[in-house]
Amino acid sequence: MKEKPLLLAFVLVAALGCDSLPGRPDPADRYQRPSEVEDFALLYATHCSGCHGADGRNGPATNLGDPLYAALADPVEVRRVIAEGVAGTPMPVFAQTGGGTLTEKQLNILAEGLKAGLNGSESASRLRGAPPLTAKAGVRGQASTAQLARGEQAYATYCARCHGAEGTGGASGGSLLEPAFLGLVSDQALRTTVIVGREDLGMPGWQGAGERPMTAAEVSDVVAWLGSHRSSAGDAASGVSIK
Amino acid sequence: MNRLRAIGKWFDDRLALGRLYDQSLGHRIPFSSSSWWYVFGSATLLCLIIQLVTGVCLALVYVPSPDQAYASLEYLDYEQPLGWYLRGLHFWGSNFMVALVTIHLVQIFLFGAYKYPRELTWMVGSALFLATIGMAFTGQTMRFDQDAYWGVEIIVSILGRLPLVGEAATHLLQGGPIVGAETLSRFFTLHVFVIPATLIGLLVIHIRLVLVLGISEYPEPGKVVDPDTYADEYEQVVERTGIRLMPEGGGKDLVFSALVLMAIVLCAALIGPKIPNGPADPSLIHTVPRPDFYFLSLFAAFALMPPDLESFVIVYVMPLAVVLLFAVPFISRGGERHPSRRPGAVILVILVLTGLFTLAWEGVVSPWSPEMDAWSGVPVQPRFVEDRSPLEHMGATVLQAKQCRNCHALDGAGGKRGPDLAGVATRLTEDQLIRQVLQGGGNMPAYGNHLSPHEVSALVAFLTTLHAEGQAPARDSASWARSARESPGSR
Amino acid sequence: MEPHEHPPLPPAVPPVTRRDFLFKLGLGLNVIAAGFVGIPIVGYIASALFKPKAQQAWIALGEIAQFPPGETRLASYRNPFTTPWDGATADIPCWVRRKPDGDFQVFAINCAHLGCPVRWFPQSGLFMCPCHGGVYYEDGSRASGPPPRGLFEYAFRVRRDRLEVRGGQTPNLSEPV
Repeated sequence: MKEKPLLLAFVLVAALGCDSLPGRPDPADRYQRPSEVEDFALLYATHCSGCHGADGRNGPATNLGDPLYAALADPVEVRRVIAEGVAGTPMPVFAQTGGGTLTEKQLNILAEGLKAGLNGSESASRLRGAPPLTAKAGVRGQASTAQLARGEQAYATYCARCHGAEGTGGASGGSLLEPAFLGLVSDQALRTTVIVGREDLGMPGWQGAGERPMTAAEVSDVVAWLGSHRSSAGDAASGVSIK
Repeated sequence: MNRLRAIGKWFDDRLALGRLYDQSLGHRIPFSSSSWWYVFGSATLLCLIIQLVTGVCLALVYVPSPDQAYASLEYLDYEQPLGWYLRGLHFWGSNFMVALVTIHLVQIFLFGAYKYPRELTWMVGSALFLATIGMAFTGQTMRFDQDAYWGVEIIVSILGRLPLVGEAATHLLQGGPIVGAETLSRFFTLHVFVIPATLIGLLVIHIRLVLVLGISEYPEPGKVVDPDTYADEYEQVVERTGIRLMPEGGGKDLVFSALVLMAIVLCAALIGPKIPNGPADPSLIHTVPRPDFYFLSLFAAFALMPPDLESFVIVYVMPLAVVLLFAVPFISRGGERHPSRRPGAVILVILVLTGLFTLAWEGVVSPWSPEMDAWSGVPVQPRFVEDRSPLEHMGATVLQAKQCRNCHALDGAGGKRGPDLAGVATRLTEDQLIRQVLQGGGNMPAYGNHLSPHEVSALVAFLTTLHAEGQAPARDSASWARSARESPGSR
Repeated sequence: MEPHEHPPLPPAVPPVTRRDFLFKLGLGLNVIAAGFVGIPIVGYIASALFKPKAQQAWIALGEIAQFPPGETRLASYRNPFTTPWDGATADIPCWVRRKPDGDFQVFAINCAHLGCPVRWFPQSGLFMCPCHGGVYYEDGSRASGPPPRGLFEYAFRVRRDRLEVRGGQTPNLSEPV
């Protein structure tokens, strides 16, 4: 009679012990609908890393992983750009409402995650005097001659050292005036790169470009000057086809 | 003890167990048949028993309706105590059963055991093989996940290529013109009632044939099967060297079966069941359907064979293969049995198995499939970014945004459908790149209507940088001649 | 037939005994009874073949305002043969392309090769299939890969600003919708 509870206990341990074997499916591996993914890292990796780099750096597109970017970015604007894309540039529409795949909630998660910073965020003390990252809605090609002259001056001061005196490439920076480049880049992307820089690729931001930091006006002027080199031919809208 | 014996005798008087034993487990087999080569049939039978027992257990919880099937699977996996383990046993049992029935078939073929008088045993065995494959496919559908749903669509599309009967066949299988509730019910009925009943019925005939005709003796080189004398010779062999199947002859079967059972248990406990990959919701188009292992070779064959051949293969070659399988004993009659005297058979087996495994491996890699999320989810490696101009960066971005990476890898990362683009500049000149991008060709779509001139310029600017350090980019002969003229002496 | 015209039985055949008669009668009755069971079973199973008659109905796909010109969007229609336990399989997806001029094209989700779900990529204007690599252009024509034809297209019409399709069937090569 004594053995009975013992035996029972053994069977129970054997049976329940099995429930902790490695073959037991882990609920964490459970299938998640793409629309239910709410992990920022996963969302970033599957939707953004292709162009912007695995940790937001060293990618061909805008540098999102710089702590400076995280500190200066406006999350509302970031969300809008992810949702609607940027027409005329390679940045696609991601919102479901626009034919993309991300839900409203996922757009918020991405915007918040980028604001929090892929590699942390720059401390406020180092941001003093930083030009606003988002420009006031500027219209392409409507800069005044005076602004363009100031822009050219700013270019010579801050950019020419690497990108060449003419803007067509220099010691360590490639040409900025290729029509195809200017035709596909938005003013905002130019502005973001001028301000944040591409430290991953050896390009300084607004603070380190010259002997003193660039002013907000100089940033706007140099972007306007670069934009003035756009040619109207070859825009996305015109399209080509060869038969 | 005497009491026990008396009880035993009481039952034996009524059930004639002794006589049954003499005619079945105790029947005499040639000594040479007690071989490690002869254990696969009994091990397959063991798998069938495991499948029946675990299958019945799973049916206690599983709900064969599309709105509940996936939930009941998740319940089995995560909530029902040991549900995952039962699923694991059933899943691995099916893998082992398919493997063992195939090995059994190959062994019988290599040993010429299908020859006179065992032609019917072979044919019934072939039917058992097909029934097992049928169980595997319908079983994969029971998981009712995305693989299952699209697997059904694939089978329906294959049937749909049949002339005349295509429409009727697809509707019969789907239970209507569209995959839905009745489809799952039909597959469930096939998996749980129709095919198992057929399987058991065929198995009874198969075993009856084995008992009536005796297990084939181990083949000997030089010994020829002659229908006129075979029966007498076999009888003499059994008379001279015969041992009882149990206990003398079947020890190896028992040991091997136990090993198989332990392997199944270990796989179930350590690797576990196949986790369903998302509910069978056709609107979830972010899916990459793949069949279970045993169908990967077929899956791969449909990707790799020339498209014009596919309908021909479905309509003629596949049915012909089945007919040939059944006809083996009538194509190769009499003669030698030992594989060393039948090189043709050995070569055939090697060719078929190599082909199947190569295709299955291709199916695992499936280099023909675009990697659907590569464009946004596989980064451009930093070394293709550094030391490049803004225009080239823009080109790399265009490469990503236009989904080129879905088919083209950059140094191994990305789709495998088209050529790897790392080093493309050493193969194509700038003009050729432009032409290829705009016009496509060689299984690449034309992008002319979806790239602006700026995008083409940027993309090609980036592509022309893709050559290994120290390796010159490709140039056309005219430009080579030109540069040679301009700077004579240098290459 | 007149009874007296019946030819006399040849004497060599033994007379029909009651046992023979009962055996044959029993066999015959069983065949008849089996017919009453078996023929309805065949009809029951084969009823799946006669469903297509109902598919003549037009099925709503959504307001046309959902489909901006120049874009291709995923939509789904309700399977006309749906049952309450169909779950997610009741809604069959399809791709709706609205051309820039406002005209529509409605593509089946199924690849023309072996039925896998094609996915639309607006940036490159291509449909890609994840199974065997079939690729189609935005107008549904075959771009590359093994498909023997372009994407299957559903018939559609616009009624009171709503797009309707004639769906209700998985398209394949023997029934291209």
